[in-house]
Amino acid sequence: MPEIKFMKGNEALAEAAIRAGMNGYFGYPITPQSEVIEYLASEEPRHNYVLLQAESEVASINMVYGAAGAGARAMTTTSSPGFSLMQEGMSYIACAELPCVVVNVVRGGPGLGTIQPSQGDYFQAVKGGGHGDYRLITLAPNSVQEMVDFTVLAFDLADKYLTPVLILSDGAIGQMMEKVILPDPVKPSTNKPWATTGKKANRERNIITSLYIQSEDMEAKNLRLQKKYQNIEQSEVLLEEYKMSDAEVVLVAYGVTSRICKKVVDLARAERLKFGLLRPKTLWPFPKAHIDQLAEKTVTKQFFSIEMSSGQMIEDVRLVVNGRKPVNFWGRNGGIIPTPEEILAALKAQL
Amino acid sequence: MPAKGYVEISQEGCKGCGLCVTHCPVSCLEINTSDTNSFGLHYAVLAQPEKCIACQNCSVICPDAAITVYKKLE
Repeated sequence: MPEIKFMKGNEALAEAAIRAGMNGYFGYPITPQSEVIEYLASEEPRHNYVLLQAESEVASINMVYGAAGAGARAMTTTSSPGFSLMQEGMSYIACAELPCVVVNVVRGGPGLGTIQPSQGDYFQAVKGGGHGDYRLITLAPNSVQEMVDFTVLAFDLADKYLTPVLILSDGAIGQMMEKVILPDPVKPSTNKPWATTGKKANRERNIITSLYIQSEDMEAKNLRLQKKYQNIEQSEVLLEEYKMSDAEVVLVAYGVTSRICKKVVDLARAERLKFGLLRPKTLWPFPKAHIDQLAEKTVTKQFFSIEMSSGQMIEDVRLVVNGRKPVNFWGRNGGIIPTPEEILAALKAQL
Repeated sequence: MPAKGYVEISQEGCKGCGLCVTHCPVSCLEINTSDTNSFGLHYAVLAQPEKCIACQNCSVICPDAAITVYKKLE
């Protein structure tokens, strides 16, 4: 019997992590994400996991690094300014090839910014905010239910590819309350032969490092990582389409903006404008092949990238469309959530 | 003669979404933009208590159950 509850996005994510068998959480509270650590703290006596409030985001990501190296299902959650602080650790974990889940409940930036929802961390998430050639699998939920589903998926993907997985949510999804269907608790596999759990007499010692003094070794590591990333790009793309079968104007939006854009499509269809919505559920790997097909179709006339940022995802859409069709942008930022009517009026002016 | 009411809003429970403000038929609530709770969020306040008619729209719409409505007995 699935359990149905009415929960806040952040709390649902925390509950999903517990059910996914998370056994190490290291975090630092920051609005609009603090409910995660609050919920985990209140549930801790009833479950078997380590919960630690670190002294900063830098410390928490390095604690995740350590716990993941020891074979734990480790997680941390933060919001934009904290995610900036975590970038060094993310790069280390990606290079050391350890599984972990990082959640960024985005708020307005730059700087300390505001505490209202925004999508300004797109570049930092998908282009790799840290140093070096690494990628993060980036999942973008647009409902409280997906906060739950993607948390479970994120832990599985992290274990499958031995790479950090990012859930790029936003303040609106994190603070929103909705009905959720919670999954049954799972017991994750503890078969991690690479984990540094103490050398036994019958095996070689495990070394986890991201330091390679010899250039040749570093290049070999890079090639290995790139091969893994190509593999992910081919097999892990997720997307959702809404009224796309005959769409002339394609809206591309993710996260909370995609929900607003669904309404925009309905409003436009009522005025006999053939709008459709394409929502990437995975921002990296980006649904390149799919957008490429759309750009080839003669029925497609125009693309719009709708974001709560100053135009970040539009660069990825433009790269794929490659000049075949016009790609335009519309967005608000700084914590403003646009209304469907506002978006439709602005888009009609740009048609 | 409409009923007289009083609205109690939990500062720490409120995330400042503004749903109660838009759903108040007599516009007696507003978001306090000069103060924040411990999350750093502006919370809703009963700005004009004399207008409140104890209709409970605000407490029904509040997604965080942060509002309690009291009705004054005659």
